[in-house]
Amino acid sequence: MAAAPVANQAQAVLRSRLCDPAFVHSPLRSSPDTNYSKLKYLVNSSVSEACNNSVLLLGPRGCGKGAVLDMVLEDLKTEHPDAISVIRLNGMLHSDDNCATKEIARQLCLEHQLSFSKMASSDDNTEFMIDMLRECGLAHKTVIFVLEEFDLFAQGKQRLLYSLLDAMQTLTSQAVVIGMSCRLDADQLLEKRVRSRFSHRKLLFVPSSLDDIQRLMERLLMLDKDSSLPTNYVTEYNSRLTSIFGSKKFTGILNSLTDADATTSNILRFLFRVVSYMEMESGLLSMECFTNALSSMQRQPKMDSLQDLSILELYILVCMNRLEDKEQSSYNFNSIMKEYRSIQDAYRTSDKYATTVCFRAFEHLLDRELITFADSKGRNVALEYRPVKLLISSRELAEALKINTTCPAVLQKLLDRERYM
Amino acid sequence: MASTQTAQFAPHSAILGLSPARTRAQNFPNSRSPLPFPFDPSLWYLGFRRPPRAAGRHLALASSSAAMSQPVTPRRTTRATALAPDSPSSPPKSRAKHSPRRQLLVAAAAPDSPSSPPKSRVKPSPRHQLLVAAAAPNSPSSPPKSRPNPSPRRQLLSTAHAPDSQSSHPKSRPKSSHKRQFLVADEPNEANPLDALLEALPGRRAQATDLLRLLAPAPALPVLLHGGAATGKTRALLLALRHLRPSPRLVYAALRSLPSPRALFASILSQLKALSKRIPDKPSDFIPALRDALAGIVSQGELVYLVFDNLEVVRGWDKGGQLLSLLLRLHDLLWLPQVVLVYVSSTTPDAYYTMTGSVEPNHVYFPDYSVDEASDILMRGHPNPELYSAFLSVVLKPLFRVTRRVDELAAMLEPLFRRYCEPLGDLNGVPDEGIKRRLFEHLQPHLAVTLNETFSVPMRDSVGECKNGISVGKGSVKRQFGGRDGLSSELEFHMSVSAKYLLVSAFLASRNPATLDASLFDSTGGSDSRNRKRKSSQASIDRKDTMAEEMLMKGPGTFPLERLLAIFQCITSVSDDVLDEVECSDTTMGGTGMNALMSDVLLQLSTLCNSNFLSKSRSCPLEGSARYRSNIDEDLALKVARSVSFPLSKYMYRR
Repeated sequence: MAAAPVANQAQAVLRSRLCDPAFVHSPLRSSPDTNYSKLKYLVNSSVSEACNNSVLLLGPRGCGKGAVLDMVLEDLKTEHPDAISVIRLNGMLHSDDNCATKEIARQLCLEHQLSFSKMASSDDNTEFMIDMLRECGLAHKTVIFVLEEFDLFAQGKQRLLYSLLDAMQTLTSQAVVIGMSCRLDADQLLEKRVRSRFSHRKLLFVPSSLDDIQRLMERLLMLDKDSSLPTNYVTEYNSRLTSIFGSKKFTGILNSLTDADATTSNILRFLFRVVSYMEMESGLLSMECFTNALSSMQRQPKMDSLQDLSILELYILVCMNRLEDKEQSSYNFNSIMKEYRSIQDAYRTSDKYATTVCFRAFEHLLDRELITFADSKGRNVALEYRPVKLLISSRELAEALKINTTCPAVLQKLLDRERYM
Repeated sequence: MASTQTAQFAPHSAILGLSPARTRAQNFPNSRSPLPFPFDPSLWYLGFRRPPRAAGRHLALASSSAAMSQPVTPRRTTRATALAPDSPSSPPKSRAKHSPRRQLLVAAAAPDSPSSPPKSRVKPSPRHQLLVAAAAPNSPSSPPKSRPNPSPRRQLLSTAHAPDSQSSHPKSRPKSSHKRQFLVADEPNEANPLDALLEALPGRRAQATDLLRLLAPAPALPVLLHGGAATGKTRALLLALRHLRPSPRLVYAALRSLPSPRALFASILSQLKALSKRIPDKPSDFIPALRDALAGIVSQGELVYLVFDNLEVVRGWDKGGQLLSLLLRLHDLLWLPQVVLVYVSSTTPDAYYTMTGSVEPNHVYFPDYSVDEASDILMRGHPNPELYSAFLSVVLKPLFRVTRRVDELAAMLEPLFRRYCEPLGDLNGVPDEGIKRRLFEHLQPHLAVTLNETFSVPMRDSVGECKNGISVGKGSVKRQFGGRDGLSSELEFHMSVSAKYLLVSAFLASRNPATLDASLFDSTGGSDSRNRKRKSSQASIDRKDTMAEEMLMKGPGTFPLERLLAIFQCITSVSDDVLDEVECSDTTMGGTGMNALMSDVLLQLSTLCNSNFLSKSRSCPLEGSARYRSNIDEDLALKVARSVSFPLSKYMYRR
């Protein structure tokens, strides 16, 4: 009976692990020749040798760029407690130049116990930043600029990047610019004047290999022996988990998961679901947890919403599909209705409804975003006359009709054989 | 929105004899575009003010430069600055405090629902606000849009509320200082609250358990709920959040009722009680404020659930793409594990994919209800379940072929059920097979009608006729409800004669090609065109086909005012002739009638434009004159013509 609280406790431990990026990426600390050690060496040397540097961390989203950088900065802060100040900017928030310089000034003021005025102009802020960089250089203090979503800073005039990188050309300053981006061509976006001032150091982050992922999963899910949980529970839990990890089915799950997306964040999301599906009576993870999690991650939203349609809505989709097959360049609700009428006249089904009812079904389809208007303008044209297009392929539609048990046979026939009638 | 429209009508309706409600009802088929989000006027009471300009720049305080070996030389210390009054600790304006509650009310409660809680209650606590917000979308099917017909909604809300009252907190309670007390009091089956929760969510068992699992213990990854309209997403979420123990703090932002990013930021911050005088209008100001506020709450050991409802509407906003990616990446920006982000969207997750990729939340899919689930929901709280289930077993399947949305079904079922019960004297009895069959036979003709209409207009006249219909019997009912046309012909057009003629002439001007006007309205030109029509080659047939196709695509054409007036004059003169012949009235009467018809044409025209029968396009920059387009369809035009006994079909150009 005491299993339930234990299970809750174990689940809480596992969930907090999964939500903590520092824990997830901690093994990088110990292993050599990783991006972590490269980045650390780079920043460390520029701190200790008092030089300027710039580097880009590139890689798809969810590969741990930010986590690695955080670890490096944390380490450096403990190693050189007084010689570093970190300024963080995010492209989503500070891509505007004025905003960015203001934010830099704010963080510099905060770091050095100066009082910050919100009313300072952009020029004042830029000037202040350059002054501060010089002062910091004279004081042998390295300013590290972290620019998340680096590609967004490269929009527009790139004044911020220019003034940052230009300030680093002087001898007195001492700064490191670290850009992070999920666009691999982020450095190509830079203007010529900016690019020439940028040291072309790039660190590429790639999704980890299958072995690494398996190791990561084991590390994340295995419970420690010396935790507060009862020992016999931990042993049972771990042995169950080991047998799952060893099984062939698990390898299959892992393969189909990583085939789609092998980034760390995707793995974490998967494991989070697995842990959420834990059997709370026993507190153990079973194979079903893994298969359920996988199937819920592999849903196809379009197919799901196709299954939700009423018969009339399916009729309209089939009519649209027929119109597209006829290679009609564009069509609107009225032409769909013409097609619908001709079908109803030919087959005399019971599903012949008034135009207003069909229009409501049409609007439902628009709401579900299975179809959309083909033009962007047309504000004052009535909806019936605006051209529309399908957002699903005919293959998807055929599949959906096949799965749908309530779908009348006529529809299937209309879609398949008598296409060119 | 609706009220302003009515106000616009008022002067014209005095002339036309249109009652506003009637006008809207007639108008409805033409104004099909869904209503925009419920606009919340209370936002504009907020009194957004610019902060007093604090003069000054960065003041390098002569701090002893603790961190530096060499002090920064202070620049321009001349002007001491009073910092801008936006420290987060400054109390928010009392007025601003009210707005989020209103927003919530607007967001969650239907704007016209008569059962929505009275807004004038004295000072509800914030907890209460949330409860109200949570309770209003209780009806599993209440849509956020307003509907023309309020009665089914009333019924729906009440049915949804009724079975709920055991698990939800009664809203009539005074200030909820005794939160704990009534948590216990209201949930008699405290032993198994999960069952109570699942009971309150019919047909959503899998989704509710999924949600609880994904949300439950504190650190959780973001969750996205998606599914079609009226599938109980918001309701399931809010009930599940209320189910959690210890009860977390809920911050609920219904994006449909928050028309701009600024309003969104203000709403969220004020729910966290962190709204300073200056409302942030940029994300770069909002995110730090939000992080500060959340960090303060989290440090006290509370959990926060940040819910963004109707996420899909953000895409339509100005710069919505940026805001959307910001909202979806809030988890990474905040890095507070005790804050759980929940998104609710009626579109599929692939609507939010971006070029640069995004970290996806966990999805929970809400499928539409199946027939059985829908009938379960519709049955809830019904006074006579046997009768109603017999009714549903007959009716629901055919209706389900048309629409699967429970809210629409409920609206269609309500009048049908009244019909179904008509032959019954006693509504509380349990029907046997024979009665059921009889009732079904009685219902069948009405069912066919209901299947083919999207809304019904309750009218004084027809209500009276319905009453008569009961006594007269089946025959007359059948005649009356023989088809859509039969029903609609009962509609009366409370329009002046000249407005009707104007409408008909606008219809003709839109449908007929301008080149044919002469031959149609001039007696000498008519025969000419008929002769030409005879010899139609294959090529001309083809050309006509493509023209017909074009007509189908382009819709009605536009026309200048002059042409409309010319046609108007022609057809009024023609029909005057007809009237003269039939009624043998003297010529002077006809003449004055004609003049009277012409007198206020421009006034009528603007009335028709305002009520969306005609639409006026922007004036052409070269010609300088506006062009008009008629919005009515052929059926309506024919009916209007019939009401003034004008032979419209003679004048329509058929290809």
